Amino acid sequence: MSIITTQNLTKIFGSGTTAVTALDHVNLSVNTGEFVAIMGPSGCGKSTLLHLIGGLDRPSNGKVIIEGTSIAEMDDDRLTELRRRRIGFVFQFFNLIPVLNAVENAALPVTLDGVKPAEAQKKAAEWLTRFGLSDRLASRPDQLSGGQQQRVAIARALAAEPSLILADEPTGNLDTRSGDEIASLMRDVAKKYGRTVIMVTHDPRVAAYADRIIFLKDGKVIDETILERKNTSNADVVSRKIKEIGD
Amino acid sequence: MSVRYAVLGLISQKPRHGYETRMAFENLVGGDETWEVKPAQIYTTLDRLEEAGLVERSSDLGEGEEPSRRVYKITPLGEEALQEWFSGGVVPGHQRDEFFIKLIIGLVSGRANPERLIQTQRSLLFQEMHAATTQRDEYDPHTEMAQILLLDKSIMHLEADLRWLDMIEMRLETIKGQPLPEPQIRRRGRPRKGDKGSTYPPPDPLSDCETG
Repeated sequence: MSIITTQNLTKIFGSGTTAVTALDHVNLSVNTGEFVAIMGPSGCGKSTLLHLIGGLDRPSNGKVIIEGTSIAEMDDDRLTELRRRRIGFVFQFFNLIPVLNAVENAALPVTLDGVKPAEAQKKAAEWLTRFGLSDRLASRPDQLSGGQQQRVAIARALAAEPSLILADEPTGNLDTRSGDEIASLMRDVAKKYGRTVIMVTHDPRVAAYADRIIFLKDGKVIDETILERKNTSNADVVSRKIKEIGD
Repeated sequence: MSVRYAVLGLISQKPRHGYETRMAFENLVGGDETWEVKPAQIYTTLDRLEEAGLVERSSDLGEGEEPSRRVYKITPLGEEALQEWFSGGVVPGHQRDEFFIKLIIGLVSGRANPERLIQTQRSLLFQEMHAATTQRDEYDPHTEMAQILLLDKSIMHLEADLRWLDMIEMRLETIKGQPLPEPQIRRRGRPRKGDKGSTYPPPDPLSDCETG
């Protein structure tokens, strides 16, 4: 079953002679529990696609349908609701609050949403435990490695129990080994915990963990690769593809 | 004030003329899109530094057909000022936030939809973040790490601003229920006759003498 469908999704920035078509009639469908990577050269429209799916921006044309409802038909309140409860965001840096420990950081958005702190922290602790941080619950960000901090940030994104995770270069600021760990964790989020994950990345090694890679260029989907299963040779296949597509 | 110290610091590295100083500053911050400094500002800064005795000017005759240029070099007083700058920390300026002012004004005046303001701002921050990410990816980590770090800083701040927007959004109902305190307006101008602080009627100059 598809959780997200886009129909002729088009985004044009500016107008007249200075208009830039960031996305050009993109049709795609992502299934529940699928892990999809979006790749492509700079300016190919991958970030714009992520924004439109996340309800952060409105399309110039076409539709984004999430769980059967078109985003265009949602008013600001519904859109806010969608962003807060049904979508979790993961960025490249972690932006944890230095004075709060891991549990408090991961629980913060849920706490701010009106859930009692004890209950929010229980939820956050569950996710942190699943991510192998059960002994680091009380650690502050400065006592955690980069990879551990990113795991806290992913737990934070999941604490509100969203069905969709949008990750924007989640390994951009990590060394190769931690990057692999995070990519593998993103896969678990989809496969073990049933969330749908859409990830923008420029790193073929990281994309190789996905079920499917969508290649964008000049605002269009130019290729799609379904990866049979996660293995190291995928990275080479993906690298070759990226080279073919070129900048 | 940091342009002043940046200029002083660049001149301490080696004597430079105005144009060269400006280009060196641009390279430092990663282009004039990041931090534009107009030529006039550089020359004014150099004049002020010279007036304060922190740099001194000499003439460079220029090579061949080139016209002569003013070359600046640091003085002992300038070295001292530079060390003083190095000895202190730098207070970051996060408090003057135009978006915050816009949001609160929009809210209390009832003239803007706060949810829409947040959404517009979020969209802009995302675009800025991606522009910074794209620019960072274009730098070569083997030779341009300083520029990459500066962009990392800006990406981190943009991400933090995005989180902050989420927090505002979640607490919007609370803010709506808290009207801004109205300032207490005091009467302007001279206090009225007989009021506290009034100098009219003037005190009797003889009253002090009465007991005397």
